[in-house]
Amino acid sequence: MKKIIAYFLLYIIFCMLQFFFGKYLNICGVFPNLILILVVYLGLTRGVVSAEIMGFLFGITWDVFSTDVFGIRTVIFTIIGYFTGKINKNFDKDRTLVQIVIVVLTNVVYWFIFSFIYWVIPASESSSPSFITTKGMFKILATVIMAPIVFSILDRLTLLSRGDT
Amino acid sequence: MHKTHKTRHGNLIFAVLLVFGLALIIGRSSSYVNLIKNLIYYIAYPNIATANNIFRSTVHFADNIKSMVFLYQENLAYEQKNQELEDKIRNYDIISKEYENLSKLLNLEKIKNTQSVFARIIAREPWEWYQWLIIDKGKNNNLKKELPVLVFNKKENTLCAMGKILEVYKSSSKVVLITNSIYEFPVEIKDKGINCLSEGFNSNLVKITYIPSDADVKPGDEIVVSELSSVFPKDVPVGVIKEVMEESYVDFKTATAEVYFESNVIYDVVILVPQENMRK
Repeated sequence: MKKIIAYFLLYIIFCMLQFFFGKYLNICGVFPNLILILVVYLGLTRGVVSAEIMGFLFGITWDVFSTDVFGIRTVIFTIIGYFTGKINKNFDKDRTLVQIVIVVLTNVVYWFIFSFIYWVIPASESSSPSFITTKGMFKILATVIMAPIVFSILDRLTLLSRGDT
Repeated sequence: MHKTHKTRHGNLIFAVLLVFGLALIIGRSSSYVNLIKNLIYYIAYPNIATANNIFRSTVHFADNIKSMVFLYQENLAYEQKNQELEDKIRNYDIISKEYENLSKLLNLEKIKNTQSVFARIIAREPWEWYQWLIIDKGKNNNLKKELPVLVFNKKENTLCAMGKILEVYKSSSKVVLITNSIYEFPVEIKDKGINCLSEGFNSNLVKITYIPSDADVKPGDEIVVSELSSVFPKDVPVGVIKEVMEESYVDFKTATAEVYFESNVIYDVVILVPQENMRK
């Protein structure tokens, strides 16, 4: 039960950070993808099930608030959660370089699936994807820079709540 | 065994979620998907609205913190000022005692101390704007006829002459302004020691008369109350000279001066009451 409450709180906090504070704290429209970082973190530390379920929930929530194709992020975050959960035994996830490399790779996967779905679905149906622009590149860069910080904060939170969750 | 079971469990959940996600993409225009979308939107929207409120109140909170810091700094400045004033009062008390003793010994007439009484303007008729006004203090506040009425001039950051009390009632008084045509009082040109007379003529200007024809008076010179005034204390600012009229066939020249008290909106005035009046 405590585990579910902890995940629910994480969900609320990251939704607010991403969807609300992103509007105010962005630099020229560039704001890191904190949800992607969280899903990767959960995949590396908590395993497949937690990461894919949280990825699914974050993805569907983001889809509701965006004008992109509905379901696109639901699929992407579920896939990212699943695969990071699968590879979590193969890396030393406490190393900053590893965290950065995995976040870069997941970002690539994220934008690749995004492009693929937009390639399959006619562009006129929804808003045009922003990843092909320079802004998209800066978003990836911002996410990569923020990743070690978010990882460190989440690690500290995990240490604090150890034994409770 | 347990690990394999967990992996299978994870794979199964992944498959279900992926199928569900793909179904959402494929059926994105259908009514069922729209129903799910709207449902999640109405569940999640209050959280975003709450966050919005929190963020806005945070901005107010930051403003409050900022004003608290300013207040603290202002308070420090006032404390310092208060300390300086306390020192001055202490010195004043010592000098005052000394003065009392000396005036007793030498049989000198004592200087009357005054106390400031603040009053609010309660009536000022537009058609008699430069002539009279009524204030909300009267006999109850120890006011009496002929007491000087001053006003704070924000521009010069000092008290300046405005008029004198003409009629006193229980809780109000009528003030005749220095711009009233019936009001005349002795003034001097500041730093030049030239005595002359100020005469009102029902406008924001006063006429300065009896300026000796050889006196060096020019626009911009400041007019202050002369020592000869029986109403106002000496050196109270009155106004500034705007124009000097020189006529060669007379012994005196005339000038017009703009009064200070009209330079800002007035709500309150200060009446200087001699302390013996206050004791009654």
